[in-house]
Amino acid sequence: MLKMTHLSKVYRTEVVETYALRDFNIDVKEGEFVAVTGPSGSGKTTFLTIAGLLETFTGGEYHLDGIEVSQLNDNARSKIRNEKIGFIFQAFNLIPDLNVFDNVEVPLRYRGMKAPERKERIMGALDRVGLASRAKHYPAELSGGQQQRVAIARALAGSPRLLLADEPTGNLDTQMARGVLELLEEIHREGATIVMVTHDPELAARAQRNVHIIDGQVVDLAEDPRFHTAYTAAAGQIRS
Amino acid sequence: MMQIKPILSALRRHKAGTVLIALQIALTLAIVCNALYIIHERLAHIAEPTGVDEPNLFAMANLWGEQYTKQQAAAKIEQDLITLRQLPSVADATPTNGYPLRGGGWDNFITMKPDQVDKTTDAAVYAGDEHFLRTFGLKLIAGRDFNADEVRDMGLREAVTPPVTIVSKTLADRLYPKGDALGKSFYSMSSTPITIIGIVDTLHRQDVSTWSAPYKGQSLIWPLRLAQPMGVFYVVRAKPGQLADAMREAPKALYAENRMRMFPAKDGLVDYRQIRQEAFERDRGMAILMGVICVVLLAITAAGIIGLTSFWVGQRRRQIGVRRALGATHRDILHYFLTENLLISVGGVAIGTVLAFALNLWLKQNFALESLPLIYVLSGMVILILLGQGAVFAPALRASRVPPIEATRPA
Amino acid sequence: MFAYYLQLGLRSLRRNPMLTTLMVMAIGFGVAASMITYSVFRAVSDDPIPNKSSQLFVPQVDGWGPQQNDNGEIPGALNYVDAMALMRAHKASRQTLIYPVMLSALGRDADSVPTSASGYAVTGDFFPMFEVPFLYGSGWNADEDDHRAADVVLTQEFNQRMFGGANSVGKEIQFGGNTYRIVGITKHWNPAPRFYAVWGEDGFSEAPDFYVLLNRMLDLHIDSSGRNSCRGNLTFTGWDQWLQSNCIWLMPWVELDTSSEVAQYRQFLTSYATDQQHAGRFGWPANVRLLDVMAFLTQQNVVPPESRISLIVALCFFVICLVNTIGLLLAKFMRRAGEIGVRRALGATRREIYTQYLLEAASVGIAGGLLGLLLTAVGMSAVTLLFDAEIAQLAHMDLSLIALTLLLAILATVAAAFYPAWRAAQVQPAWQLKSN
Repeated sequence: MLKMTHLSKVYRTEVVETYALRDFNIDVKEGEFVAVTGPSGSGKTTFLTIAGLLETFTGGEYHLDGIEVSQLNDNARSKIRNEKIGFIFQAFNLIPDLNVFDNVEVPLRYRGMKAPERKERIMGALDRVGLASRAKHYPAELSGGQQQRVAIARALAGSPRLLLADEPTGNLDTQMARGVLELLEEIHREGATIVMVTHDPELAARAQRNVHIIDGQVVDLAEDPRFHTAYTAAAGQIRS
Repeated sequence: MMQIKPILSALRRHKAGTVLIALQIALTLAIVCNALYIIHERLAHIAEPTGVDEPNLFAMANLWGEQYTKQQAAAKIEQDLITLRQLPSVADATPTNGYPLRGGGWDNFITMKPDQVDKTTDAAVYAGDEHFLRTFGLKLIAGRDFNADEVRDMGLREAVTPPVTIVSKTLADRLYPKGDALGKSFYSMSSTPITIIGIVDTLHRQDVSTWSAPYKGQSLIWPLRLAQPMGVFYVVRAKPGQLADAMREAPKALYAENRMRMFPAKDGLVDYRQIRQEAFERDRGMAILMGVICVVLLAITAAGIIGLTSFWVGQRRRQIGVRRALGATHRDILHYFLTENLLISVGGVAIGTVLAFALNLWLKQNFALESLPLIYVLSGMVILILLGQGAVFAPALRASRVPPIEATRPA
Repeated sequence: MFAYYLQLGLRSLRRNPMLTTLMVMAIGFGVAASMITYSVFRAVSDDPIPNKSSQLFVPQVDGWGPQQNDNGEIPGALNYVDAMALMRAHKASRQTLIYPVMLSALGRDADSVPTSASGYAVTGDFFPMFEVPFLYGSGWNADEDDHRAADVVLTQEFNQRMFGGANSVGKEIQFGGNTYRIVGITKHWNPAPRFYAVWGEDGFSEAPDFYVLLNRMLDLHIDSSGRNSCRGNLTFTGWDQWLQSNCIWLMPWVELDTSSEVAQYRQFLTSYATDQQHAGRFGWPANVRLLDVMAFLTQQNVVPPESRISLIVALCFFVICLVNTIGLLLAKFMRRAGEIGVRRALGATRREIYTQYLLEAASVGIAGGLLGLLLTAVGMSAVTLLFDAEIAQLAHMDLSLIALTLLLAILATVAAAFYPAWRAAQVQPAWQLKSN
């Protein structure tokens, strides 16, 4: 589904070149639920933005659903984002000027879908996240958890093959976070591929597979004792 | 057009900015189409044909230096005309009471019956001799010119009503709409009838003021020579290409013949370039002022739209990024802002149309302006909508270049 | 604190040069357009004789009647018969009668050539009534009016032209072949509009050359060089019959110092017109009016419509510029919502935010006003392109106009800033510190 080989991303300024990703390799199979972890500045967000075609990369190859994306123009990339990818952001990123219904509608609009179908999908997605009754509310009138659920509904409405989540619970308290996570798991069970960036070990533990990034490269979890210790400790704390 | 509803609901969340742009467009439309119409009216006024041979004509205001009796003045005029007509650069000359576009002048009420109290219409009165038509280069389209023996002298405060007249076609048609004016008669502030012996094509009135607008182009010529103590106008037609020579020679020749006369420094010796210049000074000034105001106004409105839209784009960078992340193309974003502006503009011009007609109504009541033709409002609408789209284009283009990555940046 | 706000304002203006320039230009152009047209309007609509305008009156008597006057409008001048009757009745403390004349003037030199001169035939009261300032000598008195003396008063400008500016009182001058005695030289005096002769004139022409004794002019059959308006069938065949006609051409003025004098004069006019009706001269009931200077100028539509329209359009233009400024200020202030939130979090009150932004607007207003002044000055030199030369030359920059320009710019900008500043002050403390 998502395959990066020898991918690199370099930020150039006049004086220095900074490698955000270097010889980066990852292969996410269809239907997988992968958690990407790593310390701040390790490159996990860069990975996600490149995976979501929000940004271009410098070298290497990226196949998304079998398509080599580096040669695609902006319009084609927009189309892929629209049809194949659903985004869930840490900051929800709902459009404050639009109500819940209109927010969920945004990607469907860009797909040129007819109004009746749009409506059906929007209400279906909102039902799914338990917010059908809030369709006319504006984001500012909702709690953080509700907002994130609207964002998930927006991501789901277009039935994307790949769901990219960036710290989806980062702005939520534990109670709400748990609800959001359960929702993601449910979506995964229904067959969607999910790639989630997080630094929360509990969240990462719920995924099928963990990928750890340090300094712009994927490292083997088992080979890094520091992480292993921290990870098990944190996991233990939450379980208790 | 696909996203009108969400744009409208987004605009509802930005009422102040939306209202301000719409209001500005509305007011601009109201001013611009009225200003354009004023310009059009004034330019049309300036462009009115006089019917005379302007390039070769000049006028002299001849004031006598002594108090002459009627007989003395008539003799002096006779002599002056011989002198003028003999000049090599001069084609012809006529004594008169004024000339088209001079401003003010003599006008008479016209009636169809001798005892009629309310006037039928009003006509500018020209006094001239048998050289009048030839000198002015007027086109006689029916009937005949005056005979020399029909021309009478008119002394100080003598109300003379000649039995024959030559009228402009406009006056002829006003009095006899069927086109059979020739040979018919009318009355003019006298109980003796005046017979139309000739009709000339176009002959503008002396005055250019608004009160006479309803009587535009209505002129009559009487075979009269003003033998009055104050003086007389000589209108001289130069031979083609010799206007400057004639204007130099004519006063010199007249002074040489009789020094007891004056041509006042102001308007004593004028050609039609100068006559037009003075007659339409206000109209030209008005047209220029309205033009300048229109241009500056449109520029300021465009700048205002650019300013506010740029602010909106800046404010919405993040949501543009989100839209991009959710699959919006460059074009979608560009269209979003263009459509948004179009909606505001349409609202603005709708209000503006009402304001434009209201302003016009007010101007009409206070300044004798005509009704604003719909075409001015329509073109005003088109101008403003295009202006809005043009103004919003640059910020919209900037918006479309917001990268999708913007969605992941911290606020 | 004030200095601090001003400093903040200036810094913020510098930070956003595009938006600032736009606002300053909008205010500058708006204020300049208004000021240029206002300066012209002010010049043409001013009270030409402020300290006496409420004591000077034009008596009007309808000598045409409802069938022949202009849609019920009372004629603006008098015919000879009515004018003379009013003068003879002498019911006002001062009164005069005026008509314009154009004559050839001849200096005393044997070889001099005639030059055209325009002036007014007036009676002796003209000079004290209108407070005509004299350089040398004076006007003439009622006695000389009665004796139909050949007296003339020259204006400073004409005296300069004919006598090189010397004191020529007592000298003689030829007008139209007749000799006149110079009794006075006026100082420059040309009220704008020239209220006393505004009927039939545009009211803004160059100063006249002389004032000559009216009775003398009538004796010599010197024709009016101004407007003459008649109704009905014209049957006069010469001067004397013309005087008896219904043609109006004489401008009467009376000076009435108290309101009771005004009331009495009004009554007199009515009874005069009623008498004329009873005598069979007027076939209609009395229709009279007594207008003071400003009312007369209004009746005669002295302010050119162009001047009024221009002013109105310019003011509308200014309003649009202000709407524009409101929008831009809103954009400018709200762009700094984050900063406002921080300031509020650090203890700034709403009032302080409000003041800060109003002062920032005021500094935009000052800049706009200065640009406006500059544009007004430039525009003033181009005013001759827009209005008649005679009217254009009346428009000028003076201290009051400069002050008004700046004041208008600042007040208008601050007024425009009320709403945007209020919006800015509504920003919650620190709200913007949270991530979106």
